[in-house]
Amino acid sequence: MSQAEELATGDSAEPWQRVHPASPFVHGWLAIIGLGYIYWQNTDDLSWAERFSGTRLMWTVAGAGIALAVVLIFYFLSWYFTRYKLTSTHVYVNSGMLFRSQKQARIDKVQGIDIAQPLVARLLGLAELRFDVADSSESVLRLSFLRKADAHALRVVILERARGEEPAAAQESGSHDAADRAAAQPQAAADALPLMANVPIGRLIGSMFLQLPVMFGVLACLAMLVLWLAGVDGIIAALVPAALAFGSFYYKQLNQGWNFTASASDTGMRISYGLADTRQHSIPAGRVQAISVTAPFFWRMLGWYKVEVNVLGTKSDDADNLQVLPVGDFESVARIMGILLPDLGVANQREVLATAVSTGCEHGFTGSPERAKPLSPGAWKHQAFLATGTTVISRYGWLARQASFVPHNRVQGMSWGQGPWEQGRKLAGVRLHCAGGNIIGYLHQIDADTAAEFIRAQTRRLVER
Amino acid sequence: MATATPWSPNNFTPAHRDYAKVKFTTWAITWGLFLLAALVPAVLAVTGVGIPLWLVLSPVLLVLAIALPALRIIRRQVAALGYLEREEDFIVRSGVMWRKQVVIPYGRMQYVEVNSGPLERRYGLCQLTLNTAGSAATAHVYGLPEREGQALRERLVAAGEEKML
Repeated sequence: MSQAEELATGDSAEPWQRVHPASPFVHGWLAIIGLGYIYWQNTDDLSWAERFSGTRLMWTVAGAGIALAVVLIFYFLSWYFTRYKLTSTHVYVNSGMLFRSQKQARIDKVQGIDIAQPLVARLLGLAELRFDVADSSESVLRLSFLRKADAHALRVVILERARGEEPAAAQESGSHDAADRAAAQPQAAADALPLMANVPIGRLIGSMFLQLPVMFGVLACLAMLVLWLAGVDGIIAALVPAALAFGSFYYKQLNQGWNFTASASDTGMRISYGLADTRQHSIPAGRVQAISVTAPFFWRMLGWYKVEVNVLGTKSDDADNLQVLPVGDFESVARIMGILLPDLGVANQREVLATAVSTGCEHGFTGSPERAKPLSPGAWKHQAFLATGTTVISRYGWLARQASFVPHNRVQGMSWGQGPWEQGRKLAGVRLHCAGGNIIGYLHQIDADTAAEFIRAQTRRLVER
Repeated sequence: MATATPWSPNNFTPAHRDYAKVKFTTWAITWGLFLLAALVPAVLAVTGVGIPLWLVLSPVLLVLAIALPALRIIRRQVAALGYLEREEDFIVRSGVMWRKQVVIPYGRMQYVEVNSGPLERRYGLCQLTLNTAGSAATAHVYGLPEREGQALRERLVAAGEEKML
């Protein structure tokens, strides 16, 4: 740490810079609302006329003035002590007045930079940079907030330095006009990236209502509403929390799919989405651990799929799995798979992929035997697997059918399992566990001898690379 | 009869016999507590609170109905435990009704833990946990004699360093 401090106190010519002055407000706008609310709560017996007349006027104005001054002083100090610096090797972020924190990230270890815009920041045209650093798993370095154009410019500069180039604009990266000049380019560059998939809003909303949990939620809420209108009083106590829980789930899905675009970048893929808060997220292809393509029950009739991945180093995400396509057709799935998993280990990739996301045993897939029918009557025809030269493809699931793709060199461990009903029918299952999320490869209810043979062959494949 | 598992059970190093005693003691403590809770209505009835007979009997019968079958299979469960060290990977098996074998290649190993609780220490046993980057891919070895546990840990760490990818 002492070495880092020495570095952080500045041996380099690069100057320290401050974040945008509005940043504390974006971090702490809730405090202002809170103060207003407290005031409101304590004076709600007064009318507006009473608040602003006579001696009370003076108290109101003085109170508001003092509160404003205190808030502004804290905001100023918070802003004053938050500084960042970009050198040729590191990014430093210092913050805090009483409890100082100094964080740094090595630029050559930076895997990707996300740009996030919470709602208030977005209204003010600000953005936050989140550095995804390879060697630190516990905390993500955040730099918040910069003007959106500056954030994009800084991102380009750092990514270029991470690749070992020294761009012309970065020579004087301290000055604002350099940032302004660079600001025009990344916008153009972002537009030039080949677009892999986007999600029209109508399709997004349609896809959300065509999921069974959502339909059940809507039906349950409607039923409770009808009961309430019919005069059952107590039901409102259940309706409100149910509607809130369901609403937040729905909003999260809407937010993750709103304005969704996925584009190819030179290191992998970049996705951006967001309704109120916008996120731009880059996914280096080499960090994808496992991919799952899901087709919920009603989507199958429309040929829609959802693609999720397990990735390392995005611990800032609340979800375990990262959604790289909220809803899309087979063409989009094929394009995205082409980037994230360019080598499927077979000659006829497209045909194998088409079989993997549908049903059938062409192209070498091995399915569940018919004696699995009593154990999973809805799914046994769909369950199948294929081990290619690079990847294990497995299909499972009943209502929401899933296909998961796990590269051999990403498998952390395997487990073979056999329940009491499977023992009598000579069936067994194999799970392939990966890091970075909860997508697994699952060979469900396949022939016991095939399972034993597969797991013995797979142990050899795991140690080959 | 049951079908074959990928690796034959007779190659595996089984858990120490004393591990069954640990399991018996755990069983006695856990179900003893449940039985005490189930006896509350009976105590109340004795002290004169009017409680119907079925409410006195049913919790006790329920606890016994779950606890006694659990007691019967402890020996078989302990006998089903085992581990197998191979050239490139480590295999752990467990389960009688739900049989399971977990395979972890040495190259994917991240760290090895050896733990022993007070009960296990009394019989000179320990348990070993093998962790990888994936939280689900974890192998537990139960009922190892302490000396063997330390030796196994050394061997695993050495193999992990050698096979590190």
